[in-house]
Amino acid sequence: MISDGDRDGTAAHPCLLFQAKREMKKRIFSRGIEHKKARWGWIFIIPSLVFFSLFSFYPILNALYTSLFKKKLLSLAPPQFIGLDNYAYLLQSPEFWNSIRATVVFTLGTFVPILVFSLLFALFIMSRKRFQKFFQMAYYSPAVLSSVVVAAIWLLMLDPRGLANQWVNFILNTPGIDHKWLANSTMVQISTMMVYFWKYVGYFTIIFLVGLGSIPNSVHEAARIDGASGRTDFWYITLPLLKPTTVLVSIMSMLQCLKTFSTQYLFTQGGAPMEPINVITLNLYHTTIRDRSIGLASAMSIILFCMMLFFTWLQFKTFKSEEVDY
Amino acid sequence: MATSRKSTKKSTSAQSLLIDVFIWAFLILAAVYIFAPFIFMFTASLMPASDIMKMPYRWIPKGLYWQNYWQGIRGNDGSFIYLRNILNSLIVASAVTATTVFLSAFTGFGLAKYRFRGRHLVFMMILATIMIPFEVIMIPLYLIIMKLGFQDSYLGLITPFIVSAFGIFLMRQYYLSFPNAVLDAARIDGASEPMIFMRIVLPNSIPAIATLAVLTFKSQWDNLLWPLLVAQTEEMKTIPLYIIRFTAEKHTDEGAMMAVAAIASIPMLILFLKLSKYFLGGAVVFTGKKG
Repeated sequence: MISDGDRDGTAAHPCLLFQAKREMKKRIFSRGIEHKKARWGWIFIIPSLVFFSLFSFYPILNALYTSLFKKKLLSLAPPQFIGLDNYAYLLQSPEFWNSIRATVVFTLGTFVPILVFSLLFALFIMSRKRFQKFFQMAYYSPAVLSSVVVAAIWLLMLDPRGLANQWVNFILNTPGIDHKWLANSTMVQISTMMVYFWKYVGYFTIIFLVGLGSIPNSVHEAARIDGASGRTDFWYITLPLLKPTTVLVSIMSMLQCLKTFSTQYLFTQGGAPMEPINVITLNLYHTTIRDRSIGLASAMSIILFCMMLFFTWLQFKTFKSEEVDY
Repeated sequence: MATSRKSTKKSTSAQSLLIDVFIWAFLILAAVYIFAPFIFMFTASLMPASDIMKMPYRWIPKGLYWQNYWQGIRGNDGSFIYLRNILNSLIVASAVTATTVFLSAFTGFGLAKYRFRGRHLVFMMILATIMIPFEVIMIPLYLIIMKLGFQDSYLGLITPFIVSAFGIFLMRQYYLSFPNAVLDAARIDGASEPMIFMRIVLPNSIPAIATLAVLTFKSQWDNLLWPLLVAQTEEMKTIPLYIIRFTAEKHTDEGAMMAVAAIASIPMLILFLKLSKYFLGGAVVFTGKKG
């Protein structure tokens, strides 16, 4: 736009041209710049806005809408409006309650150990003067693998003749016992939790480490000068100041667990019993693909969404997140 | 008095030594626990199946049994479809990474550096989509993709991921601290806004871009649920789908299974070793909001 001014041919003298150009820029800057910038702002965001409208906002409304219909995938029959019948059906179906149970058990059994151990790992790494970087990278490394690869490795290690039995028998001194990691309904649940724990504990350790690092050293020093021991420092300084990070890790890991799919899917494909680990996402997938009842599956997904919102709200409430400032 | 103080000092130093030893032992044991499955994968991928299930596991393979890799790539049916699936994963992950990085930077820049009415609302709306789990919108997305005729195609695998709310958030945070003086100087020199973005902003946001790129690539490499819905023919499947199929097949050899897993992991592990800074940096984007 500014270059238009260069082409008008008045520039006999280079110095004159320079001056004219300068004046012109000044004028443009003082008048239209804010307006022009606003227009460019919209241009920058419009592609993403269109994308999110099409692939996020519309689908969530559509899921809500579809959940009120009896609708089959690839069926020519028009969908039939049935109100809340899908929800009523699900809430009476023992199979779906089993899925809710499996999801909740898995989530509690996974995210609580992750929370505790990632905090412990972070504290221990932080207390070391050397090898901090090594341990960070080592603990994080499983998060780099695909969940499917992780599940495949553990599937072999949990084989009756595999490593898990050998190690547990070595530790408990019970040679030759098969712990039925993939066959027994309790054990298979524990196995999925172990796989998930192994994959994600390092990831959350890193988040805790950043949280710990952002607590200024001066606070610890002040506490030391006031005569606080290491233990007092931890319980009364570090832990309270770490609260925002703890809330974050707790909610993130919980949401991650509620959405778990790959491990359970591969385990059932590999021959583990379905019923104890039939989490909501797995049920959702089978309802969509095998039964093709997408009305029912949509209702399931909405229930899952509500569970996630509810548990997030619950966590905020239990932590009663008063702001922490330092 | 003096002696008692001395003795407490001695006992605390002994105690702290004990704690020190305990922490080292704990960290090292945890590292062993973390590494064992990795080592298992790589060693088992080089052993014949009969050795993998031997009772005391042999951590050092007797010889290098490369046939597992051949068997894994060839597949049980000899179709070599794994190579195609690896190529698919590469194409999809690269395409998604490219579009996500570009569009996230584009939008993030717009949100950070231009004042216009409604920009806060737009930002909040985009952030809100982070809360929407993919599993919930998966079915409507599938219907949209079917309607567009993108089923069982690269477009179908890529389209729902071309930009991410997380990426926009990350880039916007980064651009908030981008110096305005640089942008104004470019404007005075007559650069247009898209040119400023392409020539000045993008080249100067390598750390943020690298973080986003690495995380996006990783999440696509790992993506299972969506390809499971969209990719129907073997030719369009991605690595995770192949691993699942291969694992579920009856006569699959355990060594070959680990070879397949190792092949899928090696690119990510190399990327991680080379770019660990960005991997670790990506984990903390959400905490970055607070000091």
